Amino acid sequence: MDLIISLVINGLATGMLIFLLAAGLTLIFGLMDVLNFAHGGLFVWGAYAGIFSYAYTGSFTLGIIAAIITGLILGFIMEKLIIKPVYGNHVQQILITLGTMLVLQEMIKVFFGPNVVAVKVPELLAGSWQVGDIIIIKYRIFIIIFGFIVFGLFHYILTRTKIGLIVRAGVMNKEMVQALGINIKRIFLFVFMTGAALAAVAGVLMAPYSGAIYAELGMEYAILAFIVVVIGGMGSFQGSLFAAILVGLAGSFMAYYVPYLSLAVNMIIMAVVLIFRPQGLFTAAKG
Amino acid sequence: MMNKPLLLSRSNIILFIILLALIAFPFVMDSRTLTILITQILIFGILAMSYDILLGYTGIVSFGHAMFFGIGAYCTAIMLNDFESTIGTFIGSIIVGMIIAGILSFIVGLLTLRLKSHFFAMLTMAISGLLLVVAEKWRDVTRGNDGFTFKAPEVFKDRVMFYLVVLALLVIVFIALKRFVSSPLGRVLIAVRENEQRTKSLGFKTLYYKVIASVVAGVIASLAGSLYAVSLRFVNTSVLTMEVTLDALLMTIIGGVGTLIGPLIGSVVIESAQHYLSGLARDFPIFERWIIFFGIIYILAVIFFPKGIVGTLQMKYFQWKNKKNQLNVVPLSKNKESSK
Amino acid sequence: MMTSLLKLDNIHTHIGQYHILQGVHFEAKEGEVSVLLGRNGAGKTTTLKTIIGLTPASSGTVTFINGDITKKPTYDIANLGIGYVPEDQGIFAQLSVEENIKVAMRKETDESKEKLEYVLNLFPDLKKFWKKAGGNLSGGQKQMLAMARAFVNDSKLLLIDEPSKGLAPIVIEKVMEAIIEMKKRTTIVLVEQNFIMASKIGDSFTLIDDGKTVHHGQMKELIADDELKHKYLGIG
Repeated sequence: MDLIISLVINGLATGMLIFLLAAGLTLIFGLMDVLNFAHGGLFVWGAYAGIFSYAYTGSFTLGIIAAIITGLILGFIMEKLIIKPVYGNHVQQILITLGTMLVLQEMIKVFFGPNVVAVKVPELLAGSWQVGDIIIIKYRIFIIIFGFIVFGLFHYILTRTKIGLIVRAGVMNKEMVQALGINIKRIFLFVFMTGAALAAVAGVLMAPYSGAIYAELGMEYAILAFIVVVIGGMGSFQGSLFAAILVGLAGSFMAYYVPYLSLAVNMIIMAVVLIFRPQGLFTAAKG
Repeated sequence: MMNKPLLLSRSNIILFIILLALIAFPFVMDSRTLTILITQILIFGILAMSYDILLGYTGIVSFGHAMFFGIGAYCTAIMLNDFESTIGTFIGSIIVGMIIAGILSFIVGLLTLRLKSHFFAMLTMAISGLLLVVAEKWRDVTRGNDGFTFKAPEVFKDRVMFYLVVLALLVIVFIALKRFVSSPLGRVLIAVRENEQRTKSLGFKTLYYKVIASVVAGVIASLAGSLYAVSLRFVNTSVLTMEVTLDALLMTIIGGVGTLIGPLIGSVVIESAQHYLSGLARDFPIFERWIIFFGIIYILAVIFFPKGIVGTLQMKYFQWKNKKNQLNVVPLSKNKESSK
Repeated sequence: MMTSLLKLDNIHTHIGQYHILQGVHFEAKEGEVSVLLGRNGAGKTTTLKTIIGLTPASSGTVTFINGDITKKPTYDIANLGIGYVPEDQGIFAQLSVEENIKVAMRKETDESKEKLEYVLNLFPDLKKFWKKAGGNLSGGQKQMLAMARAFVNDSKLLLIDEPSKGLAPIVIEKVMEAIIEMKKRTTIVLVEQNFIMASKIGDSFTLIDDGKTVHHGQMKELIADDELKHKYLGIG
C-alpha cells in the first residue's frame, strides 16, 4: 500500500511538472496554430536561470521569479522575431522553432558551461514526512500543490475573465474573433509569453526534483510535453492536466514494475492516440 | 518545357566538370584527411538528398529520418561483423538495410502521413526516439552506446577505392532521384507540396504518393547509413540520434530545398565547417559552439532565404536573365490599350 | 437621397495564386438591403471577405463612410462599425450563447445593454437557450445567434453571407423577418443564392459572375427581367 501511495505521489508530481510545460504549449497551439518546438528551450533556460539565481541569492523564491522573468523575456523575443515572420506557414514554423531549440540549447552551454549541474532541494522544502509506514517526500507535495494552484488560477482566468473568454474563442475560430473587432495578434503575444513563463517555471521546479540539470534536458522533457498535448487534445487546457497526470502516473508505475517499457509506453500511447483519435482523449470533437 | 536536349545544358556541363574534378582529385592530391572528409561529405550528401525528397519535393517535415540512416548503419555493421567481411556481404547488407528501411518507412508512412504536418513531425520524433531507446537497451545486438568496431571489406582498406565507390553511388543516386522528381510521379509530389487539398480534389490519392516519397527517402537514407558505418568501421547509437536528422535538415535548408543539388552543397558547407571549426575549437574555445552559428543561419534562411543557397542563386540567375532579355526586346508595336 | 455607405471600386482579390475577384464594383446605400447575387463560385463570399479584410484586396479601393478601408486589418474594420456573419455562422461551438455574445460586446455601456435587449427580443430563442453551448443549437438558432452577435455593437453595416443556407422554409421566414426588422436600424449587404428570399427583402442588387460585376440596379427591375435572371442565376 505504501508503495502504491509513493508511486502515485511520484506520478502526480512528475505529471504536474509536465502539465506546466504542456499547458503553455497547448494554448499556444490551440490559439495560434503554432507548434512551438522550441518550448523545451524555454524550459531549460528557466531551469538554469532559476537555479543560478537561487544559488546566487540563496532564495528559491527569487529563483522562481527569475525563471518567470526569463520565460517572459524569451517568450517576447521569440514571438516577435521568430514566430511572427512565419505566421501561417506550418512547415516554416516547425523548421524555425526547431532551429531555435537548437540555438537555445547551445546558448545554455555558452553561458553556463556544458557540464551537468547538480541541484539540491531548498532547505525549507527538503526532507520528508512520515505518516505511519509511509514516507512522503515534501518537495513532491510542494510541486503537486503548486501545480494545482497554477491550474486553478488559469482555469479561473480562462473561464471567468473577458480575456480568458477571448482566448477560448480564439482557439475555436480566430478569424471570427478578428471580425468581432478584437486584435487577436496582441493576444497571441500575451499567450505566448505566458506559455513561455509557465515552461520556465516548470524548469526551475524540476531542477531540484531530478537533482541535476544539463542542456539536453529541454529536448527530453519537450517530447513528453508533446505527448501530453497530443493525448490531452491540442488547445485543451483541462485536457493537458488530465493527460499530464495520466502520463506521469503511467511513467511512475511503469518505471517500477516494467522499467523496460517505461520510456516506451508514453510514446506508444501518443502514437496510438494520434493514429486513432487525433483530437485527443479529453476533448469533445470540434463542432 | 524546352525542347533543347537537356543533356548538354549549361548546368549539366558544370556538374560534369565538377564530377571529373572529384574523380581526379584523389590521384592529384595525396591527402588522407581530405579524402576522408570528402567521403563524409558525399555520404551525408546522399542522406541530405533523401531528406530533400521529403521536405523539398513533397513538403513533409520529418524529425525521424535518423532511424533509416541508423538501420542501414547497423545492418551493414552487424552483417560485416557476423559474416565474412567481403564485398558480397557488404552489398548484401546494403540491400537488407534498404529492405528493412523500406518496410519501416512504408508502415510508418501509411500510419502517420494522413496527419497534419505538426502531428507527423512529433510522431516521427517520438518513433525515432523510441528506436534509439530500443537500440540502447538491446545491448546484445548493438552494444548500446558503446557500439562496436568491425572490419571493412579488404577492397576498402584503400581509402581512395572507397571514396570512388561512394562517389559512384552518389552519382547514381543523384541521377536516379533527378529522374524520379521529373517523372509524372515526381510532379504529383511537387503538387502535393504546393497545395495538397487541390491535388486531392484533382483526384489523386495523396496519401499514396506521400508514402512513396517516404519509402524512397527512407531507402536512400539507409544506403547512406550503410556507407557511413563502413567509413568509420564503427557503429554506435549515435547513428539514430536527433543529431543525424538535424544535420540532414540543416544541409537541405541551407543548401536549398527542392533542388537536389542544394543538399549536396549544404553537405559541403556543414561537413567542412564541422571539420575545420572543431579543429579551430581546440585552440580557440569560442568555436566550440559553432553550431549556434549554423542554427542562426538556419533560422535566417527559413525566414529570408527559404530557397537556400542554390535556390537563391537560381532565382538571382533567372532575374538577371530576365533583365537581360527585357533590355534586348525591341517593341514591335505600341502598347495596346488594356481593355476594361 | 440615399447616401452611399460602402463603395467597392474595381476590386481585384487574389487568394494564393488564384485571381478570384477580377473587377468588382459595388455600392451599398444607407438604410437599404443590397443583395449580391450570382452563381456558385462567382466570388460573392470573397467580396464580403475582402470588405471585412479577411482576404484583402490586391488592387482597387473599398470606401466606408468616406474612409478608405482597403488595407486596414480586420479588427479595425469591424471596430469602424461593420458586422460580419459568415457562411458557416462562425459560432464558438463550445461557448454558451451568453459567452458568444459577450465576446462580441466591446463595451458594457447603457447603450449596448439596450441594444442587447432589443436584439434578444428580436431573437427570443436566444434568451431561452442563454446558457446552452453554441454548438448544440439548431441551424436556425445558430443563424440568429450569428446575426445577433454582429448586430449587438453599433454596426452601421452588416455583411450577411447566405443566411438561408440549409434552413427549413419556416425558419427562413423568421430570418427574413429579423433582417427586415434590423434594416430599420442599420444597412445590410446580403449574399444570397435563394432568389425568392433575396427578391422579397432586397432593395438593390449587384450581379457577380466570374469575379466581375456584370449588372446592378433596383431589385424590382431584376424581378421583371427574365433574361438576366436566366443568364446569371439560371432561373426563370
